[in-house]
This record gives sequence, structure tokens and C-alpha cells, in this order.
Amino acid sequence: MKKHLLLCAALAALFVASPALAEMKYKPGEDSKFTWANLDELKKTDLKGETLTIFGPWRGDDEKHVQVVLDYFREATGADVKYSSSENYEQQVVIDTSAGSPANISVLPQPGLIADLAAKGLLSPLTDTDAKWMAENYGAGQSWVDIGSSKDKDGTKKFFGFSYKTDVKSLVWYSPENFKDAGYAVPTTMEDLISLSDKIVKDGGKPWCIGLGSGGATGWPATDWVEDIMLRTQKPEVYDGWVSNTVKFNDPAVIGALDIFGSFAKNEAYVDGGAAGVASIDFRDSPKGLFSTPPKCYMHHQASFIPSFFPEGTAMGKDVDFFYFPTFASKPELGKPVLGAGTLFTITKDSKAARAFIDFLKLPLAHELWMADGGFLTPLKSANPAAYANDAARKQGDIMATASTFRFDGSDLMPGKIGAGAFWTGMVDFVGGKSAQDTADVIQKAWDGLK
Amino acid sequence: MTAQIIYAFVTVLLGVGGCFGYFYGSNWLLDRTFPANANNDASAVRNLRIQGNIRPWLFLGPALLLLSVYLIFPVIQTFWLSFHDRAGDQFVGLANYKWAFSDDQFRLSIFNNILWLAVVPALCTLMGLIIAVLTDRLWWGNLAKSLIFMPLAISFVGASVIWKFVYDYRGEGQQQIGILNAIVTYFGGDPQVWIALPFWNNFFLMVILVWIQTGFATVILAAALRGIPEDTLEAATIDGAGPFKIFFRIMVPQIYGTILVVWTTITVLVLKIFDIVLTMTNSQWNTSVLANLMFDWMFRGGGDFGRGAAIAIVIMVAVLPIMIWNIRQANAEQKGH
Amino acid sequence: MFKSFSLEPSRIALNLAVLFIVALWTFPTAGLLLSSLRDKNDIAASGWWTALASADVSKKGRLKGMADQVQKDGKYTVSGNLLEGAEAVSGKISAFGTKVQNPTANAAGATATLENGQTLQVNADGSYLFTAPAALTEDSAGRVFYVASQPPRFTSENYQTVLFSEGIGRSFINSLTVTIPATIIPILIAAFAAYALAWMKLPFRGLIIAIIVGLLVVPLQMSLIPLLKLYNAAGTFMGVPSKTYLGVWLAHTGFGLPFAIYLLRSYIAGLPKDLIESAQIDGANDFKIFRRVVLPLCFPALASFAIFQFLWVWNDLLVAIVFLGSGPDQLVLTGKLNALLGSRGGNWEILTASAFVTIIVPLTVFFSLQRYFVRGLLAGSVKGG
Repeated sequence: MKKHLLLCAALAALFVASPALAEMKYKPGEDSKFTWANLDELKKTDLKGETLTIFGPWRGDDEKHVQVVLDYFREATGADVKYSSSENYEQQVVIDTSAGSPANISVLPQPGLIADLAAKGLLSPLTDTDAKWMAENYGAGQSWVDIGSSKDKDGTKKFFGFSYKTDVKSLVWYSPENFKDAGYAVPTTMEDLISLSDKIVKDGGKPWCIGLGSGGATGWPATDWVEDIMLRTQKPEVYDGWVSNTVKFNDPAVIGALDIFGSFAKNEAYVDGGAAGVASIDFRDSPKGLFSTPPKCYMHHQASFIPSFFPEGTAMGKDVDFFYFPTFASKPELGKPVLGAGTLFTITKDSKAARAFIDFLKLPLAHELWMADGGFLTPLKSANPAAYANDAARKQGDIMATASTFRFDGSDLMPGKIGAGAFWTGMVDFVGGKSAQDTADVIQKAWDGLK
Repeated sequence: MTAQIIYAFVTVLLGVGGCFGYFYGSNWLLDRTFPANANNDASAVRNLRIQGNIRPWLFLGPALLLLSVYLIFPVIQTFWLSFHDRAGDQFVGLANYKWAFSDDQFRLSIFNNILWLAVVPALCTLMGLIIAVLTDRLWWGNLAKSLIFMPLAISFVGASVIWKFVYDYRGEGQQQIGILNAIVTYFGGDPQVWIALPFWNNFFLMVILVWIQTGFATVILAAALRGIPEDTLEAATIDGAGPFKIFFRIMVPQIYGTILVVWTTITVLVLKIFDIVLTMTNSQWNTSVLANLMFDWMFRGGGDFGRGAAIAIVIMVAVLPIMIWNIRQANAEQKGH
Repeated sequence: MFKSFSLEPSRIALNLAVLFIVALWTFPTAGLLLSSLRDKNDIAASGWWTALASADVSKKGRLKGMADQVQKDGKYTVSGNLLEGAEAVSGKISAFGTKVQNPTANAAGATATLENGQTLQVNADGSYLFTAPAALTEDSAGRVFYVASQPPRFTSENYQTVLFSEGIGRSFINSLTVTIPATIIPILIAAFAAYALAWMKLPFRGLIIAIIVGLLVVPLQMSLIPLLKLYNAAGTFMGVPSKTYLGVWLAHTGFGLPFAIYLLRSYIAGLPKDLIESAQIDGANDFKIFRRVVLPLCFPALASFAIFQFLWVWNDLLVAIVFLGSGPDQLVLTGKLNALLGSRGGNWEILTASAFVTIIVPLTVFFSLQRYFVRGLLAGSVKGG
């Protein structure tokens, strides 16, 4: 057996050609929007012969973007970086870390999952220097450090997750031309938004496209709605309490938010496909209603990544635009809250290259490269905003930068069984006709059932 | 590319060759060490007896070894984990089982599993039998069987895409892209969200498995039907038996054993049903089944191995009746030989 | 057989019944095939069955703008054609409008009066003429909505995306590297074991059979972590990588064995007793009997199992991603296709096309092996079960 394996390995070594030096998308030194000085700095780190494995959520076009960033790391340090992903990669991270063969770096979008893994002792903590750097250099830096921190096996709080690449969730997408044709104005308060919705109904249209379908994750788009409404009806401290369950899920504060969401999603006149359709229409198909003739709906609440599901050739700013999901004029004390999400880089198998890669992420260049490719927002203050691919991204970056309160997606912070389980299922049942109270009771019961 | 093909070829050759090598080699060694054509009769008889004692284990050896490593070892590990906490560190006694039987989701999953078990194996076997008998008498029977078999060749992901185009729902008054709703609205009905209809959605999911597995039943049963001696059937026809009589009195009893094999196989498959529920509903709308519940507890959001393991043990215990039935079968056969 | 049932009406009914069942079974797949040939935006916009006929579809376009305006008689005009390419030949516009709320306000050929003294005329062939009293300042004179009859249109683009994606050929070979041994090895091992359990004298036979049947039900997902731990330990101990082809073959073999042994045993046990006894009397040992008598006889059962195991391994993603690496030298076809999907999934066009790309190999295997179990090699000698 052993001989056979060795032979296989030898053959493999013979036939698998070494990866050709990657061609870099932006020629170093050419475009002044990039901080090229960083590249020379990076070249001081010599990682020749080192292999760095990264396991992340990005596939398809996103994978091309991440590869662009990785190319520069490869080129400058000489490290052999292997990136991979798969559809059920969150489960695979659990399998691989539990079995002891994870990638060096695992990129996870859920702080809740990071907390679980950290508590089992499966993650290597980042350094205090890393945490300090983030607090100083990211906008609302301490809140990013908090998102990436959780308790390790012994119960001491440590910094595990380095946020890189963020999304803004508090956006409403619409077609400016459809608005213009119908004579609608972009609402600036929640009250306006509701009266606009009523007006659209009166004009014979449907104001909203809401689709919760997402295969294995059906229900999650509703959690964004509820979180956004929570931030607009309750103080941030209540939101934090809700996420950590010190404020119970069936607390009147949460029930209130659920009911407001219900007044949109469960309103037959408001949503395309009716309440029954909301739960089953796929979230990827749902925004297409904005672009049909006549439009199936006029507005769509979704995060900044959704343009990749718009019909081909949709021009940003022309065919489609977005506005900030407004706040209640009656609650000025809550300011301008923004809900966001992002991916966190964790070290699942420590190595010199992994540490060097985390340091690489601190360079503005690492951010600018992906900013230029689009679909990427960053809270890094030193990154050059000129690098953003388009105005829309710049505008989203601006929404994030000017937020009076920034909160991470609550369902990602909750324990996986709730945030990626009971909460989703609960939302599907809620839209399907269950009352807010019953829904919240069931989710709270599931939470109580966790050890 | 060529290099890769050569590499693949060599690898395949080594793997398969190694396997052949074992069986030939070990048997050759046995015959060599204890020759049956020894010089005196006494030692030949003795050698034959030794051969008879050893050879079954040579035949069974690799299978038992692989089964132990790949299935029995994980089962023992799971059994152990089911009495421990989420990370597998602390002994918690029966807490996981107590939790399971008081959990609503678990009860729902058991109920759904029973529903699946009651419907799918019966339907698949029945459809398979009918199709096998009908196509047996057609000149284009092989083509028909192949077409019915085709779903089995499609991956579960592919199957879920196919059925999305069957069950898809669009709001009333819009153009339906799901064929089922298109038919319903064509006849003046209201479109339905099929996979979200409580209770009935289970059946819509079962249809998918029946669609996939009937091909399996058909192929196996058709092979068995072909095995019925032709003179038996001819004798029956000469005696004036009608087609139904031939079917129930001669065909079914003759292939009874195969029917049971098909039934058992599909039952076991249904007990483990996972992919269809995951890709179609992910246990939403009360369609949860045990395997999905186990998967959720093991791998979703960090994982609770204790509870996941407890559910796995429940799934395995559920097969006990089938095991007992098979022991009896095996014993009966042994007596028969 | 059944030559005596050739009564005409029953023959027709039989044909119709089978035809109906076959249609029912192939209909969903036909939908997939048609969908895979459609434009990716069309897939989610209309039912696949509508793809075969011309249909009136609502579309929208943008008029050209200031770059193309022509000043004539104190008026500014823009002209062009809304229909492009193949559509321009066969397309036919029946109505148009400029407001999204009323996209069919005007019949084709009519001149619509717009705001600020502007006019727009759209003809059935797609040509349009826009006039304005003042010069245009934007790069488009506005949107226009129209209803056009659209001939059936199909594209091979989805297949091109899948077939010409980088590294797909290699993944194909990797998949074969995994699948062929993972099909042959369990057949061999299971056939020997099945024979031993059916015809050889050995202690605890009933118990072993019962355990194997019991193992049929072990949920695969549950054994992943213990096995991967074992692989890692073994890999470290022997100084080899823990993710190898050998590892994945053995895993598939282990997972496939209970079913293989169960299926083959029940088949082999059903072989005629005197056949084996006469071979024994001739002085053949069990290894010889197995090779010379049993193996040829149970070929149909071996072929059946081969197909199921082949299908299962070929379509598997879970075992491959857990036990194999994800580098180009080990990534299997299902994994490769999976990576073509975007991060958030939902690429129906890739899913539909790749479902057909992956089905080709299993179907070839099925058609090449099917004659073994449908031709009835052993009619009269095997009763099955």
C-alpha cells in the first residue's frame, strides 16, 4: 500500500506542472489609484516554497476577483497560494476543522460560526497587534474588532476573525425611470416609504418584490428585513441584546419589528406573488420583477451584492439605482443606523504564510485591488476611494462611512442553530401565516433548547 | 493533458490490479501451502479441511476489513458521541436522547420518515413491476426501460433543478414557469405553492424519489422476470391461464425474492433520504426528515455532535426490524442448503 | 414469450399505456433539456414549454440619443431599429409605448405624441423615428416598450460556458480516475464475499449477513469526521498526504459494499444448487467454482450493481470534496461544475447544462451494459432471489 502511495505521489509530482506565474491584472506602478508602494513592502516577506491554502465562500465571478488579489501576494512573496471553495463550504469547514485537516485560512461570513469553532479550540487567535491595528485603521474600528472576537476553549475572549470585504444591507433597489414615469419620489423617511407603497397600490401596481427562497438557506432575506427594522425601532443596545439573547426573541421589541415586517411581506396588496409567493420565490429571481414590463414591483430590499442577479446589461444608475432604507421620522434619536455583513478571515491551521497573509490584508493595496473589480466595500480608512469601480460602490461606501450606528447582520452573529436555522424557518412560517408572537415563541424555544 | 491521462490510467491499473492480485495471490498461496493433491490421502483430506476453513475468510476478508473501517468504526464512534456533549468532551448520559424525544422537530421528522417509508418503497416497487411486465412484451421495451431508467443517472442537484421547473410558483395572473401550475391555471385553477403546502408537500417531494428510483426497480425486476423459465409460462398459457392469473400466480411468486430485495433496498434508501429534502426545501415547511435533522445538528453553525449522533443512532435502530427479517431469511436458506 | 397475447386491441392498449408512462417519466427531463438550450434570462422568465413556439413578449429598449441626432427642418430626429440580429428578420412588433405603466399604448406604425412636443413612431419591423423640437442633451432619447413576436430561440452558450471552462477536461479525467476503480473494486470484493456468504460453510454466517444488512442504513454523513480523522492520522504516520485517490476509492468501496454484498448474495444464493454441487463433485475448489461457474452466471447482477455504483460515485460530490483535495489534479467533475456556480448559486443556465454534461457518461455506461441484464443471458437457469 505504502509503495503504491509513494508511486502515486511520485507520478503526481511528475505530471502536475508547477503553476505558471500568474499574470497580474493591473500592472504595478501604472494606475495611481492603487497604493503601489505596498507591493515593494510586501516583497520583503519571503515565502518561497511555502504553501498557503485558503478556503472561502467565493465562487464564479467572485472567485476571479479574489484570485486577482491573491496574484499580487503570490508574486510579491513567492508563496504558493491555493484557493478553493464549494457549495456547502460552511459544513465542510466544520468537517475539516473537526477532523484536523483544515486549510491554513478559512474565510467565514458568520461570526456565530467563528464563535462555535473558537469555543471548540479549532481556531488560532490573531495577535493583539492585529486587533489594535483594526481598531485604529477601520472606520468604527472597535466594532469590527468586537465582531471578530469571541471566547476560546478556556473562556478568554480573543481576536479570531479579520474582517475583509463587507456588504451594506440597508438598501432599497428601484428603477429611477419607472419612478419618474409614475411620478414617484425617493422616500427619505419610513413614513414616506409606507405612504409611497400605499400610493403604488392605489395606482394599481405592487410596491415590493420579496423572495425568501434560497435552496438550503430559504428564509434568510427576511432576517435582513427584521434586523433593519429592529435598528430603526430600537436602540442599538436592544439589538445587541437580541443578538445575544439577553433580550428574548419573544420580547415585545422583537415582536414589534416582526409585525412591521409582516405589514410589508404579509400584505397581499404590497408584494408581488402575494404572501404565499414571498416564501417560495427565489431571492435571486425576485429582483427581476423590477425590470419586467409592466413592472411586477417597484422596490426591492436587498444587500449590495444583488446587482449580480439583475438581468444582463442592466446599467447601474440608469436602469436601476438604490436608496438607503429610511428611518422613522418619529424616532430621530436612533440616528442613521446601517446594517452590514462581511467575511472574516480566520486562521484554522497556523503557519508563517498565514500570518503574513493577514498582514497583507492590512495593506490598502489588498483592498483597492478588489475595490477596482467591484462588489467590494471596505471600512479601511486608508484605502483610496478612487479605486472603487463605480459611483454606486462609492455611494454605498459612503452610506457605511456616514452611519451613526453600524451593526453586523444579526442572524450571522446568533448561534448557527438559530441564525442559520430556527430564525430562517421561523420567517418562512411567519410569512406563511403564523402570528409574530407564535413565531417568536418557537424561535425562543429553540434558543432555550441550545446548551 | 496526456500526462494526466497516463497518470490516471496507471493509477486505475494499480488500484484494480492490486485488488485482482489479492484474490489470485491469496488463493494461490492457500492451494500451495495446503495442497489438495498431496501425496497421501490422509494429508489431502486434512489439507482440504484446512482449505475449507480458511478460504471463506480469504473471500470475506477484504469486505469485512473495509466494512469495519468505513462503517462499523464510525458507528461505534457515533454511539459513543451520542452520550457526550456538543464537542464530544463531556459525558452527558442519555441527555441527547431525552432531548430528541421531547423535540418537536424530531417528532415531526419521525412522522415524515414514516410517511416516506409507507409510500415510496411500495409505489416504486409496484410501478417497477408494472413497467417491467408491460415492457417485457414490447418490441421497444428496452428503449422504454432506458428512458424510465434515465432519472437515476441524473445527479440530485440536476434532479432538483428539474423539479424546480415542475413545482415553481408565480403569483396569480402572471405567466407560470412551473409546468404543474401552468396546467392548473390552464384549467382555471389557482396556482399553488406546491412545496409549501403543509403535509401534502411531503408527497410532492416523494414523487421525485419515486421518479428516480422506479428505474432501479424496473431494471432489477425485469432481469428477474427474464429469468422465469419459459416453459413454466408456456405451460400456464396452454392450461388457459389469463394474463392476470399468470402475473399473480406465476410471475410474482417466482420473483418474490427479487421483489423483496428491491423493496428492502428502497426502504433503506428512504430511511436515509437526505439530498432531495436538502435541495428542495431544506426541511422548511415541515418537511424535515431524520437524516436532514442529523446533518443540521452535526454541521450547521458549528455543530452539536452529541445530538447529531443521537439522531443517527435512532435512524440505525429503526432498521432493526429489517435486520431481523433478513437474519430469518438467511437462516432459512442455510437450512435449505 | 407471450406470443399468444397478440390480440390487436390489447396490443394497442399496452403500447399506449407504456407510452403514457414513458412520457410521464421523460417529461421533466425534457424540460431540463429545453431549459439548458435557452438564454439564461429566458429560463426564469417563461415556461420551458413556451420556448418551442413563437410568443409575444414584452420587451424594452432604449432609443439612440444626442450622438445620433439629425437636425432637419428645425426639428431634431433620431432613427434606428429596435430589433437586432436574427430578430430583425423574423421579429414583428405589434404595439409600443414609452411609459412602463402602459407599455402597449400605441399600435405599431402609429405616431405617439410624447411630452414637450416630442413624437415617436415605431413600425412593425422595428424601425423607429423620434422627433423633438429641441436638441437632445442626453445619450438616450428615452425608453421604449414594445411587444414583439419572438421566434423560438435557442443557444449553445450555456454548454459552451460549461464545456470550455478552464480545467474541465482534467476534472473529467479525475472523475474517471475516481469512478472506475471505485466501481470495479467493490464489485470484486463484494462478489467474493457474497459467494462466501451464500455457499460456503462458515460460522456466524447469519450474524454477518444481518450486520451487513444493518450497515446498509448507516447515514454516510455521520462517518465523514471519524474517517477523515483516521485518514489524517494514517497520513501523518506514513508520511503521505491524507487526501489521495486510494483513500477515496476505499471510501466509496466501503460505503458501497453493504448494498453490493446484499444484492449479489441474494442473487448468488438463488443459483441452482446442483450446478455448484456437481462442480464440487468434479473436485473443483471454491475459488475455481467461483471463477468458472458463479462469476459468469451472475454477470447480470454484477452489471446491475456496476451501474448503480458507477452512478453513485460519478454523481457524488460530498465524498469527493471531503476525501480529495481541491487542486486541479484532484478536483472531480461535480466539484468543478459546482465551482462554476456563483457564490450565491442560482445559475440555472449552468445547472441545466451541466446536468446534461454529467449525464452523458453514465448513460453511455448504461446503454453499453444494459444488454447484459435485459437480454436474459440466463433465461431458464436463474430464478432470482
